[in-house]
Amino acid sequence: MLDDILSVRKSAFDSGSHTELRGQLNRSRRVTLLSGNVVGNARSDVSGVSARVYKNGTYGFSSMADYTPEAVQKVLKAASDNAAFMDRHVPAGKPALPALKHDVYKTRKGINDPAQKVYIDFSKALDAYVSEHCPELISRVVVATEDSMEKLLVTSDGMDSHTILPRSYCYVFLTAQTPDGQPVELFKAFGGEGTFDVNFTDPSVWYGEIDKLYEHLMRKREGVYADAGLKTVILGGMMTGMLSHEAVGHTVEADLVLGGSVAGHCLNQQVASEKVTLTDFANTAFGKRCPLPVFVDDEGTKAQDVPLIENGILTGYMNSRESALHFGMEPRGNARAWQFSDEPLIRMRNTSVHPGTDKLEDMIASIDDGYYLIDSGNGQADTTGEFMFGVTMGYEIKNGKLGRALLDTTISGVAFEMLKTVDMVGDTVVWSSSGFCGKKQPMPVGMGGPALRCKVMIGGR
Amino acid sequence: MNDLENLAEYIIVEAKAQGADYVHCVVRESEKKEFNVDGGKFSLMRTLFDRDVAITVLKEGRKGSVHVNRFDEGSVYDAIGECIAASESAEPDAAWQFCDEPSEQTYVQGTPTCDTEKLFFRTKELLENIKERHPKILVEQMIASHDSYRSVYLNSNCVFYHPTAGAYNFSLMYSAHDGEKSSSFFGSDVTLAKLDKPVIECALIDRELSEIEKQLDPEPLDGKFTGTVLLAPAALSEIVLGTVFGNFVSDSSLIEGTSIWKDKLGEKVADDRLSITLKARGDDIVIGSRVTGEGYPAEDFDLIRDGKLVSFDLSQYGANKTGFQRAGCSSGNIFIPAGEKSLEEIIAGIERGVLVMRFSGGEPAPSGEFSGVAKNSFLIENGKITNALAETMISGCVPDMLNNIREISSDLLKDGSVSLPYIAFDGVTISGK
Repeated sequence: MLDDILSVRKSAFDSGSHTELRGQLNRSRRVTLLSGNVVGNARSDVSGVSARVYKNGTYGFSSMADYTPEAVQKVLKAASDNAAFMDRHVPAGKPALPALKHDVYKTRKGINDPAQKVYIDFSKALDAYVSEHCPELISRVVVATEDSMEKLLVTSDGMDSHTILPRSYCYVFLTAQTPDGQPVELFKAFGGEGTFDVNFTDPSVWYGEIDKLYEHLMRKREGVYADAGLKTVILGGMMTGMLSHEAVGHTVEADLVLGGSVAGHCLNQQVASEKVTLTDFANTAFGKRCPLPVFVDDEGTKAQDVPLIENGILTGYMNSRESALHFGMEPRGNARAWQFSDEPLIRMRNTSVHPGTDKLEDMIASIDDGYYLIDSGNGQADTTGEFMFGVTMGYEIKNGKLGRALLDTTISGVAFEMLKTVDMVGDTVVWSSSGFCGKKQPMPVGMGGPALRCKVMIGGR
Repeated sequence: MNDLENLAEYIIVEAKAQGADYVHCVVRESEKKEFNVDGGKFSLMRTLFDRDVAITVLKEGRKGSVHVNRFDEGSVYDAIGECIAASESAEPDAAWQFCDEPSEQTYVQGTPTCDTEKLFFRTKELLENIKERHPKILVEQMIASHDSYRSVYLNSNCVFYHPTAGAYNFSLMYSAHDGEKSSSFFGSDVTLAKLDKPVIECALIDRELSEIEKQLDPEPLDGKFTGTVLLAPAALSEIVLGTVFGNFVSDSSLIEGTSIWKDKLGEKVADDRLSITLKARGDDIVIGSRVTGEGYPAEDFDLIRDGKLVSFDLSQYGANKTGFQRAGCSSGNIFIPAGEKSLEEIIAGIERGVLVMRFSGGEPAPSGEFSGVAKNSFLIENGKITNALAETMISGCVPDMLNNIREISSDLLKDGSVSLPYIAFDGVTISGK
């Protein structure tokens, strides 16, 4: 764990400026098996210290790949110099950030660092199961991975903190062929918060999930193209999570609002059906610990939930301390940085639509001609709210019953129009947390939601 | 020897002493100076000092890799130990192979020293130019930086490369606004060795800003048709090049056997007018590459020549696994030669289709099938651009498109790392509401 060499520097922070000083260690471990061959076997440790200084409306930042008193001194000086450069050349003339109450949050314990052999042995066990039980594949990939962020933060006001957030996953990619010889693929990530040795003790725990994935793939290889156009669909929980994050979440990040996002014109307006409530949760959601809990952000703000849509009304934005001052809102801990050399940006934590009361089987039964879209490979959204998600797993719905599987397709829509078409909301929330959100820096985030019945554009032939 | 060479030498000697049969390392010291603009206003100035040590060892045919960002002997010693331990856990694989012909090169690329005042001046000037020439554009974010590094690549077969390099990078994300109307966002990027002219005049930045300004009143497309899709360089990269390099010609797809081009070497895969070259370095590349990740000298190579697939984009490992030849480089500097007609002439010849500046789609399927949203796009009817489009999807199959090329433009995007034209493809499905 990082030793505290930062607190002693607090007395030397520039008076009249807000200062953050952060020591950080990012660890990543990764093993990749491609059809049984270990093609990736890598470990990475990246650590250092950074300082950020706010002066009259602009920031100066500096970082060094060292964690020593000398490095601390150097980054503090360079960050102050940079803030002074900006104030001299482009004076913004803004007031100081409102001070936050001082407090301290310390993580309870350190984390294990399993040897590379642990990752290799586990991935080999999963690979052996796939090889033996999935005979129709033309290729298979198993990835075992862990990444963690340990942060020691000292601020001129707000919370000083020491936090560690580890997460670990196994990815299984399966590829088969359609009857005419075209490759089709499905993948699934297993795991969540915690180190690899804690999350992955027994490979057989995951065999059932692999069986289900293979079964879906066998149906997909007999699959059909979606019929392009505006369709009534059931979005599965994973797809709703993508929608929560990409299509709505990004448009209500305050920096993107200031950059012209559609949400700038919609605060306190109806943007979704009354059945839709959406929150960016800090660390606890629906009575349980979130997939990737955040307790303090990298500006020293205590993390709290941000209600974004309540019964269809857009109620708030996610903020940094600076944007919160601009919008007259309260900062709630959304300013997060990926590595020691990154400045905090406004990021989501665990963003989810709240569950409703509908049963999935009733939702499917309610559709005569549509699709059940279960999983997504990727998603992107525009500041206009127009979104696109890749659909990797889905089925036709005909006369209230699931039909043939779909080949890869995409869906698109405009978030604040599409959400108004939601007329059924499932009763079970599904979370995912294995990916990275990309916005100048990567960031681990959780996203989730229940099944939704709605209308979207679907691509196809 | 300088500090980096000393450290690289130490890593080679120590890893061999700990039992490695082969070792290579990259030791790198870098610096970044960066200005950020958010919501049209300067927000941040950053100065970053970074270090990287990447070590790869082979022990009894087993490979391990470690990356740390510390130069102190204790951290590097520990990293070597971890790397050896990682390799001991892996399976032996005879396909791992690294360059064993000694060579030594010390060289300078781009502009290693930053002129901070000039970088700031050009950044501020760019903002002012956008405001004057394109008043409806709001710069959501701009990152202007100078990135420099010194590094040493050394392997245990006496392959030594020691570059010192630097470049100015400008990355803009912007959209057009008029009251509550707004366009989709678009991004423009350029890498420069010198700041000798206004940045707005570099790459296609001024033209792209103009096009986005015309997208304030996009209209949904009515119905569905099969037509011509004219892909701007960014969309061409997303749809066509992303699929070709991701799914058809690279290590993973060929080793897995999922590439649909695995039996097509030497055969026609595209229209005769299409050639794709990967360049290691050249006049239009600010920072090129002289060495591959496996220590071989980096050289230009043709992937597709006059429509024929003449090489795969394989590492030596991938080559040994598949029996094909190793590619000349792994630079990512993609060059497609210009065609004969201007963009305007190409548009004039299209009866019904769309000009797509950006594509937002799902991961392309291994078969090359794709579908997604035609972002920042215009409808073309009877040889003229009629209106900007909203909520319009395109879908098709990349291998089919490569054989259905209508025209390749004489206009090229040259952004300091690639040289790409606009290309029009026939037979693509275009669908609206």
